Amino acid sequence: MPEPALVLRGIRKAYPGVVAVDDAHLELYPGEIHALVGENGAGKSTLSAIAYGETRADAGTVRASGTVGLVHQHFELVGRLRVWENVLLGREPRRGWRIDEAAARSRVLAVAERNGLAIDPNAFVETLPIGVQQRVELLRELDREPAVLLLDEPTAALAPAEIASFFATVQGLAARGAAIMIVTHKLQEVIAYATRVSVMRHGRIVAQMETAATSVDEIARAMVGGELPSVAARAATQPTPCLSVRALRAGSGETSVEDIALDVRAGEIVGIAGVEGNGQTTLADAIAGMIPYDGTISFANEGAQIGVIPQDRHREALVMPWSIVENVMLGRQHRPELRRGATLDRAHARADAQRIQERFDVRAATLDVPVRTLSGGNQQKIVVGRALIDDPNVVLAYNPTRGIDVGAAALVQSRLMQARNDGAAVLLISFELDEILALADRIAVMYRGRIVGEFERTNVDRGAIGRLMAGLS
Amino acid sequence: MAVLLISLVALTLIKATPLIYAALGGVISERSGVINIGLEGMMAIGAFAAVVISYYTREPALGILAGIGAGALGGYVLGIAATRFKVDQIVAGTGINLICAGGAAYGLVLIYNQPGASAQVPALGREYWVLVALAFVAAAALHWLLARTPWGLRIRACGENPAALASAGIDPLAMRVYAVTLSGALAGLGGAFLSLGELNLYSDGMTAGRGFIALAAVIFGRWNPLGATFACIAFGLFEALQYVLQGRIAWLPADAMQALPYIAALVALAGITGKVRAPAADGVPY
Repeated sequence: MPEPALVLRGIRKAYPGVVAVDDAHLELYPGEIHALVGENGAGKSTLSAIAYGETRADAGTVRASGTVGLVHQHFELVGRLRVWENVLLGREPRRGWRIDEAAARSRVLAVAERNGLAIDPNAFVETLPIGVQQRVELLRELDREPAVLLLDEPTAALAPAEIASFFATVQGLAARGAAIMIVTHKLQEVIAYATRVSVMRHGRIVAQMETAATSVDEIARAMVGGELPSVAARAATQPTPCLSVRALRAGSGETSVEDIALDVRAGEIVGIAGVEGNGQTTLADAIAGMIPYDGTISFANEGAQIGVIPQDRHREALVMPWSIVENVMLGRQHRPELRRGATLDRAHARADAQRIQERFDVRAATLDVPVRTLSGGNQQKIVVGRALIDDPNVVLAYNPTRGIDVGAAALVQSRLMQARNDGAAVLLISFELDEILALADRIAVMYRGRIVGEFERTNVDRGAIGRLMAGLS
Repeated sequence: MAVLLISLVALTLIKATPLIYAALGGVISERSGVINIGLEGMMAIGAFAAVVISYYTREPALGILAGIGAGALGGYVLGIAATRFKVDQIVAGTGINLICAGGAAYGLVLIYNQPGASAQVPALGREYWVLVALAFVAAAALHWLLARTPWGLRIRACGENPAALASAGIDPLAMRVYAVTLSGALAGLGGAFLSLGELNLYSDGMTAGRGFIALAAVIFGRWNPLGATFACIAFGLFEALQYVLQGRIAWLPADAMQALPYIAALVALAGITGKVRAPAADGVPY
């Protein structure tokens, strides 16, 4: 066995009211790709921040054989700077007072070439697709020749094809002797690309396995510490027309949509597959009535109610300093049952919040704590619970399980399926093809603002969908 | 006519100079991510300090240096408030404006035993043309520094995404304090030019909103030193026009003419709203 590149021993880190990491041991070896998995709030991010040196542990030791690099989930790039400027920021090659731009460019190209990454060092980062931006973030770390590279949710925003090429790069790095740790929610990727996996639960590392000798199910059970809630069964329904979109045109520039025709019937889930940035946000905003559009969006029954699960729970769905009760009222405050004369009926709102807490297993000390203090999974449960509580005719779900753990995700998916079984028309927009394949009765693929293909559940062709998502026909 | 034209050009350059210094200060500050609403106050305190030091030392050059120092101090205070203490930048900058104007007014009473204006002090005389020329050199130099040097790259990164700078191992807060201090120094120099270049005394309200005009020039110049300088020349022209045209257009009251630069700034800003893009983290605390 070679010397480990990174050794974490007895790491403990407590924040007021919560022990984030508790007596964690981990060794990373040169050449391995080690996955770190766990539910939201299990302590993965804290542990990687400690390994990186960003956060100080209360107890325990960190020993690394060389530089430790970290690729953030939310890229820390400057959009209006060029690729080479981003990569070499803080380590600019100089000639006298000025930056030696020729040397900078060739250095970036050399690092890119060594790692098999295609990049134009002169491009402005904001003009690049997400997958290429990630390459820039990766290059910035690679330029420092790290012995250990930590990757936080690296594939969260990537298309299937980008994911494959990303892992090819990572495997090349590992083959040249780097120790790599990937923090992720995607268990299929763990099995496919990692060599070992460590599972965290409640701040501890509770299991460590060779990926060759385990399965997605086994990892998931270790994460939740028991059996996973299973997604509700798909009941037979009699779909009837409900939401119909015709000749829709909205938005401008890269994210505009054009010539969209779409039907979502009561009692079915229609999934919109596509890579981020192909007009999904514009489509969702138009249907939710938030932006002007040309064409028609019509509902079969008069006064149809629409429940919206926006994609960004922090910016679009919740007011973080407000309590659970207040957030459950938000957007529904005009409903007669929530009014008492000119004022709000807080007792009713509290009852609603309680119902959501029970149906969705929201883990919070009380209903009066600010939603800011809850984990991402619990916040999302509130968002989904609020969208479904008034039994809407139409449900618009945009990445309803993004960035939440498998347990919470299974619950959210289950509730969406139940809404469908109860006769709601569900439009599911998701960047996770697996989620769409699991839930949708029909699938439409979006590319560059248009719907480029449609599939029935009975004749789904995963490869064909992947090709359409990438713009190949 | 030729004489009139020459005097208009000369006057335009003179009137543009304090604006250019302040605007360059504004560019540095905003490119690093701090909106410097306090430019006006930093100009005022620079103008006042320059007069006081020239009064005591009889050396206007030392007065100019004092103006730079006083402005830098104002900038440093704003920088610390906006970073370490996370005070809202607009509130802190407004506070700087009030303290500087009030401090100078109080200083007049303490030093000269009279409110409103200082005594006349030794001023620059013809040497002020050096400062006029230097303003343009400074604009070109700042343009080059921002575009070509590691220092400039870091300032720009700091105003766009301070987290990226932090992950490159550079403290964005220190960078911002430094940038706002430099910004104050330039504004102080602009103020000193007003009191010891154009005039030979300090009087209350003599900056007359030039700090805000400079801020408008920053935006109109798209946060670029050369663009801001161009905008300052345009505003300087309107200021010069009022002197050159005074008494020549009988139907236009003098007050309306004095308002020309401000109206020009307003129209210019209204015209470009939505067409320019500020640094992404401009005004956003880190």
